[in-house]
Amino acid sequence: MSVLRGFLWLLAFLLLGQTLVQLLHIPMPSGVIGMLLLTLWFGYRGRMNPDVVHVSQPLIAMLALLIMPGVVEIFFVADQFADQWAAILTALIAGTLLSVLSSLLLMRRYLPADDEPANPLGSIDHE
Amino acid sequence: MNDWLARLSQLPQQWFESPIAAIALTLGAYFFGIRLFKLMRRPSWCPPMLIAAIVIAMVVASLPIGIDDYNRGASWLMLLLGPATVALAVPLYQQLPQIRALWKPILMTLPLSATLAACYAVIIAAIMGAPKDVLASLAPKSVTSPIALGLAEELGGSRALLMGALLTTGITAIFGVEWLSRILRIRDPRLIGLALGINGHALGTVRAFELGTVAGAFASLGMSLTGAFTAIVLPLVWHLFY
Repeated sequence: MSVLRGFLWLLAFLLLGQTLVQLLHIPMPSGVIGMLLLTLWFGYRGRMNPDVVHVSQPLIAMLALLIMPGVVEIFFVADQFADQWAAILTALIAGTLLSVLSSLLLMRRYLPADDEPANPLGSIDHE
Repeated sequence: MNDWLARLSQLPQQWFESPIAAIALTLGAYFFGIRLFKLMRRPSWCPPMLIAAIVIAMVVASLPIGIDDYNRGASWLMLLLGPATVALAVPLYQQLPQIRALWKPILMTLPLSATLAACYAVIIAAIMGAPKDVLASLAPKSVTSPIALGLAEELGGSRALLMGALLTTGITAIFGVEWLSRILRIRDPRLIGLALGINGHALGTVRAFELGTVAGAFASLGMSLTGAFTAIVLPLVWHLFY
C-alpha cells in the first residue's frame, strides 16, 4: 500500500505542476515543475514522506526504459533525412564531445574541491 | 485449415489493438538489451537502450503492423514519464545541503555549459549545410525529452529526428564523460554527475545513478536546470536568427 500512497503523492504534485504551467504559461513540462514543488514541500516539512521515497526508487530506475519507445520511430523515418546523415551525426557526436569537454573544464575550474574521498567509478549494475 | 491460417495472420494486428502487446514488447526488449549488454562486457558506446530500440524496430518491421500501432500502445507506458520526473525530487532533496553550498559556481557555469551544448551541434550542422528543420530538431538535443519535444515543435523540427538525436547525444555524453574525466583525472562525483545531467539529459542521469547517489542527484539537478534554462532561452535566440 505504501507504494500506491507514494504514487498518489507523485500524481498530485504532477497535477499541481500542470495547474501552475497552464495558469502562469510556464514554458516547461508539468513533471519538472512538479519535481521542484515536491522538493520545496519536503524542504518546508523538513523531512521526506517515506511513501514517496519507496515509490521513487523503482520509478527513477525506469527512466531510461520510458524514453526508449520514442526512439524506435527514428529507424522508420531514417530515409527522410538520407542526404543529411553525415551532417547530423557529425554535429551530434562532435558537438556533444566538445560540450562535455567544455563543461568538465568549466566545472573543474569553478567548483571548489570536495574534501570527502571521491567515489571510484567502479561496479555498475543495471538491474 | 485456410480459415485457421487466416485467423493466425490477423493475430499480430489484434495483439496491437490493445496496449498490452506494445508494453510487453518494450519490457521484453529492455531486459534482452540489459542481458546482451552484460554479455558484451558493458560497452559504453552501446547502452542497453540502443540494443532494445533496435530489437523493437526489428520486431515491428517483421510483423504486419506499423510503427504507429506500436507507438499507440507504448504511449501508455510513457505516461509514467510524468510521475517518474516528479520522483526525482527525492534525490534532489537528499542533496539539497550540498547543492546549497555550491549554488554560486553552479549558477555561473551551468548556463554557459547548456548554451554550448546546443550551439556546438547547431553550428557544426549549419556549416555542413543542414536545412532549418534539421537544425531545429538538433538544437534541443541535450534537454530532457518532455521539454525537448515541446521545443522542437515550437521551432518547427521533426519529432522522430529529435528522439534519435536525444539517443545519440545521450550515448555520446555518457561515453564522453567517462572517457574525458579519465583523461582529465576528474573523480569528483558531483562534477561527473553535473556533466552527465547537462549534456546527457535523462540517459546521462540514469547512468549517474548507477555510479552513485551523489552523482545521480547532481545529474538530476544539471538535467532540470539545463531543461529550464534552454526552454526559456532557446526560443528567444532562435527567433533572432530565423
